[in-house]
This record gives sequence, structure tokens and C-alpha cells, in this order.
Amino acid sequence: MTDEVSFEDARRELEQIVGKLESGQASLEEAVALWERGELLYRTCVGKLDAAQGKIEELGKRVEEARP
Amino acid sequence: MKVEPLLYGDRKVYTVSAFNRGVASWVARLPSIWVEGEVTEFRRQQGWQSVFFTLKDSTDGACLSVSMPRGRFDGLRLDLADGMAVHVFGRPELYEARGVFQLRALSIEPLGLGAVLAGLERLKQKLATEGLFAPERKRPLPVLPRRIGVLTGNEAAAKRDFVTAVQARFPAANLLVAQTYVQGQAAPTAIAATMQTLAREPEVDVIVLTRGGGSFEDLLPFSDERVIRAVAECDVPVVSAVGHEQDTPLCDHAADVRASTPTAAARLVVPDERELRERLDTARAALARGAGAALERARSSLTRDRERLDRAPALLVERKRAGLEGLVGRLQALSPRKTLARGYAIVRTDNGIVRSSAELESGSRVDVELAEGGFGARVEETKA
Repeated sequence: MTDEVSFEDARRELEQIVGKLESGQASLEEAVALWERGELLYRTCVGKLDAAQGKIEELGKRVEEARP
Repeated sequence: MKVEPLLYGDRKVYTVSAFNRGVASWVARLPSIWVEGEVTEFRRQQGWQSVFFTLKDSTDGACLSVSMPRGRFDGLRLDLADGMAVHVFGRPELYEARGVFQLRALSIEPLGLGAVLAGLERLKQKLATEGLFAPERKRPLPVLPRRIGVLTGNEAAAKRDFVTAVQARFPAANLLVAQTYVQGQAAPTAIAATMQTLAREPEVDVIVLTRGGGSFEDLLPFSDERVIRAVAECDVPVVSAVGHEQDTPLCDHAADVRASTPTAAARLVVPDERELRERLDTARAALARGAGAALERARSSLTRDRERLDRAPALLVERKRAGLEGLVGRLQALSPRKTLARGYAIVRTDNGIVRSSAELESGSRVDVELAEGGFGARVEETKA
């Protein structure tokens, strides 16, 4: 486990924020703050997807091979 | 057989031989019985009078030495091999020369399919009673596992199917593949140990237990109590993808999710990357829309307020004017002019309005005011 927020948590929070914004319950200041947070979460999620490099390791052999 | 002790004063002492003989005679009184277990360390050599093997309890590893006269064993024409489950009929005995307890086999029967199935059913009931298969034990799989532990056999098909399917859906997936024995006597402990090792590897968020199709016997290790317990106790969620759709090894019940094939398992452990990105973009669009809507609501309510503010002074004046007009109307209603209009007249002298003829005398000068205009006049005569 790392301290960094996980993809799942980021995505879950993003969806909650979207729900909150769509319900129209948020005040303007809240809405702006939620939107900023949501954008950050979106970039976190996409960044994680972009940064992920697939690899296959064999336990025991520890041979790392780049995916084809 | 009577066993005589040596006497050292009051102390009775037995020789090893006498002790073994004594215990052996006790053991020999036990009845012949059937014992079920797994054959291990099977030893048979031409020069030997007997064949030997160890019968092992597959649940807790308890062991029992078994011997059988070679002639009788050969007569059974059994293709006995390590890992086979058997029923052994024999009598307990103590091998006096070595003081070793063993089962002297009279007959050996490999467990038939019926007996194996009955054993599996008993095991299933036992583990179900323990709650190992309870739905509340099932853990959800991670949406995007950082690393996927893959436990598979040495045959390539299942591994290849799984890896190919994972990479097609989510090319960035990290896989940690552990190959081990998935068939034969060594398989259950090998699978259980490998699963523990995989679960302890950093970032492994889910483990997929996979093996291609095989015969009923081939898949038996996946119904072994040790494997089932390892699956149930695994620190991370386990997906069981063993055999084909129709195969249901008992580890399927203990796993958090059961997949019918390795390819189906891939669909369970990784999301479809394209779909995931689309959903993220949709969420982002909704986010912008939501924030925009909140802004729009705030802006229009501001505009409304502004308009009300703008209209407020004019409204105020209007209201005051209306109030004033009402007042004027009431004022006019009280005005004598209305009375004059009905034909009355006001008569004044220098002393003011005349209300009584006593205030006048003949020849007095008066001013008369009418609804329209007026005139001066002189009093001709007064009347009381």
C-alpha cells in the first residue's frame, strides 16, 4: 500500500462529486470547490492510466519483460 | 504370552524385547479395520518380503506406516502410486524388532469414484458448516488491481488464455505469474504455499487461481482441503478459474468469485480500458456541466436580485404616489367646493363666513362665493 490515493478511491470520489453537483444541492462556492476537486481527481485517474506500464513477471524467475 | 520382568529389589524392569513383545500382544488383540488415506513413500523391491508405504491423512498430515506381504500385494495387481487415495484393510501391529507401530495390510482398494465423490461431499458439508463458503465472507474485487497474482500450472494454455485476455482489455495490467504443480500428490501443498507467497508480494491486490480443463482426477487438488483453506484464508480476494464451465472444484465455493474459464476471469479482474476512459470522460463532462449549472443558477438569481434592486426606488415612489393620491381624493371629498357644486353658496363679510342673519344688517356689503365665480352684493333686508 502507498500513501498516494488509489485509482479506485479517486474514481469513487469523482463519481460522488458528480452526483452532488448534478443534484444541484451545492452552493456556488461549494460547487466551484467540488469542480476543482473533481478535475484534480479526473487528472489523477487519467494520469494513472497513462502512466501505467504493463509488465509480466514470473515469480521466482523475476524476469521482467515489456509487453509486446 | 506371559512377559516376565527382572527384579531389582522392589522395582520390576522389562527388557526392550519383553516390553515390545508385551505391547505387541496387546495390539494384536485389536480388530482388523478399514483405514482411508493417501499413499506416500511407496517402496517395493524384488528382494523384500513386504512392500511398504505410508498412509497419510490429507487433512492434517497424520501418518501411518503400512506393510503388506509382497506376494499378496502383487496378487492385487494394483498400480499403486504416491498420491492415490486408498482404503486399506488390515490389523494394527507392533513390529517387535524395531518397536514400530504399523498397519499390516490384508487388502488395499483404490478409492473408487463413488467413494471419492462421497468424500468430497462430506468435506463440502464440513467446510460449509464452518462457514468457509458463506456469502458474507466474499470480498469485492478491486476495480483496478495494481498487480494481479496468477497461480497456474506448467501447461501453457490456461496461462496464455488469461494473459491474452487481460492484455486485450487492459494493456497496462501488471501480472505476477507463479507456476506450480497443479496436478498430482504434491499439488495441494504447492498450490497453498504458492498462494500465500503471491499474497505477500507487494501490490498484489487479487489472485487468480487458474488451470485448464482436465479429468475429474486431474482437478482433484482444487478440491483438497488444504487448497480450499488457503483460498479462504488468503489475504487478498481470490478468483477461481479452474477447468471448464461444468467443473466445480470445491475451491470455487471458497473463492471470492468463481469464473467459468481463464478468459472469464480476465474480464473479472481488469476493467476494459477504453470503457474506463470513456466513463472518466463522461464523469468529467458531468462535472463541468454540474459546476456550470451551479454557476448559472447563481448568476440568474443574481440577475433577478439586481432587477428587483433596480425597480425598487421607482416602486417606492409609485407606492407613495398612490398613497398620496388616495389622500388627495379623501381631501377633495371633504372640500366645500363639492358642496358649492350642488348649488350652495358661501357668504362672507369682512368678519368671515356668515352663518346667521344676525351677523348682517340692511345695506351690509357681502361677498358671495359660488361653485364657479362669485359676486358682491348688498343686503336688502334680514330675516330672523
